[in-house]
Amino acid sequence: MSESKTTSLYEFHLSKNAKIIDFAGWSMPFSYDGTLKEHHYVRESAGYFDVSHMGRLRLNYSEIEEINYLICSDLKNISNTKALYSIFTSEEGTAIDDVIFWKFEDDLILICNASNTNKIKTHLDIHSINYEDLTSSTDLIAVQGKNAIDIVSKIMSVPDKFSTSKEGKYVYARTGYTGEDGLEVMLDTNDTLAFISELEAKGVKPCGLGSRDTLRLEASLPLYGFELTDDISPIEAGLKWTVTNKDDYLGKDVIDQQIESKEHKHLKRFKLNAKQIARTGTICKSDGVEGIVTSGNISPILGYPIGFVLFKSNPADDLVEFDIRGNLIEGNLLYKRFLS
Amino acid sequence: MSETKYLETHEWYIVDGGNVTVGISDYAQGELGDIVFVTLPEVGQEFSKGDAIVEVEATKTVAEAYAPMNCVITEVNSALETEPELINNDPVGEGWMVKAEIKEMDDSGMSYQQYESFIS
Repeated sequence: MSESKTTSLYEFHLSKNAKIIDFAGWSMPFSYDGTLKEHHYVRESAGYFDVSHMGRLRLNYSEIEEINYLICSDLKNISNTKALYSIFTSEEGTAIDDVIFWKFEDDLILICNASNTNKIKTHLDIHSINYEDLTSSTDLIAVQGKNAIDIVSKIMSVPDKFSTSKEGKYVYARTGYTGEDGLEVMLDTNDTLAFISELEAKGVKPCGLGSRDTLRLEASLPLYGFELTDDISPIEAGLKWTVTNKDDYLGKDVIDQQIESKEHKHLKRFKLNAKQIARTGTICKSDGVEGIVTSGNISPILGYPIGFVLFKSNPADDLVEFDIRGNLIEGNLLYKRFLS
Repeated sequence: MSETKYLETHEWYIVDGGNVTVGISDYAQGELGDIVFVTLPEVGQEFSKGDAIVEVEATKTVAEAYAPMNCVITEVNSALETEPELINNDPVGEGWMVKAEIKEMDDSGMSYQQYESFIS
């Protein structure tokens, strides 16, 4: 095994007494003040996350047709100031990775999951698509929260939601992974500490991957490796809204067929009226249909356990029985997002 | 009251005459992260040494606290039902979990110093 990778902020995290965990081969901060506190910083005020472990690749507009063939969304026809969430699909229609594209007038940046950076690079290589890997020369800082936009607007101009911008040393988009408004900012590793100091001076708190996970789950957002895998399609994961590619693309036949037949796996949201958390891998049954929990945790805002469950087919009933360490615990499927 | 002793499974206990108080160690709460739910036993429930007596759900993972000796529960810390964070904030004090009547004394736990070298 090679040694764990670190971001340029590793020493800084240690100086903040962060609890460090290994995540996708990276030594990353799990928490500073505790996951629940950090969760509330973001929901009530603002927090920043070092997400520099995520892959950042610069792509060429001259190859946008070829890139568009590899994803289920229409990247080609949206304007050059937009950020787009999409999924690289396989020939079988399953997810290779879920990613964000940042479109600029002169530039196209792809941000992928840390666990999939090598897989995506290989995939691009196979399809003869050129890229420049910016992952080690830059950092990526997510500033998220109820007050995040107010605060960052004092540092840089804020684009519309799901739009991109460049200003001085900052390359950024109004995107995020917490359910709150905010920016994700890419900058040269030499400029990161100064940026973070400015955020901290304005009251933005450091947050780790622990709260990033509870925030994204509570915001009903999928995590690759859990809700999405190379065995699950965007349709099965409930991400039909990402399928906007009008042209031919890899896996289109399977995805179109799934949309029409509705005969596929179904990812659902659930809640429990119990003091147990149905964690990843928990088996459950609804209306005779077997399911497996992909992610589960407490919703710090709602105060009860929530999660995602993947069923073999669409269950007709919304009552579910979870087998939590031998005890059958009842839960309900939800048809709306966890937070309204 | 005797000294606080620790188990390899990260519980602490204090023997006071024929009774024992049990909780989890500061190290354990730190490893678990924020504790969000605690399932306590019923008063009168009988446990053998090594039985799971309390279930602790934290944001990071789930854990159980085990009986340090054969005992019968006489009191549970019901404050944990609404304030499970007491275990994070004061694991060996206000975060105690159960008090029990000792059925068979087993004071083989580690001293704090022994436990400290065990976890380091």
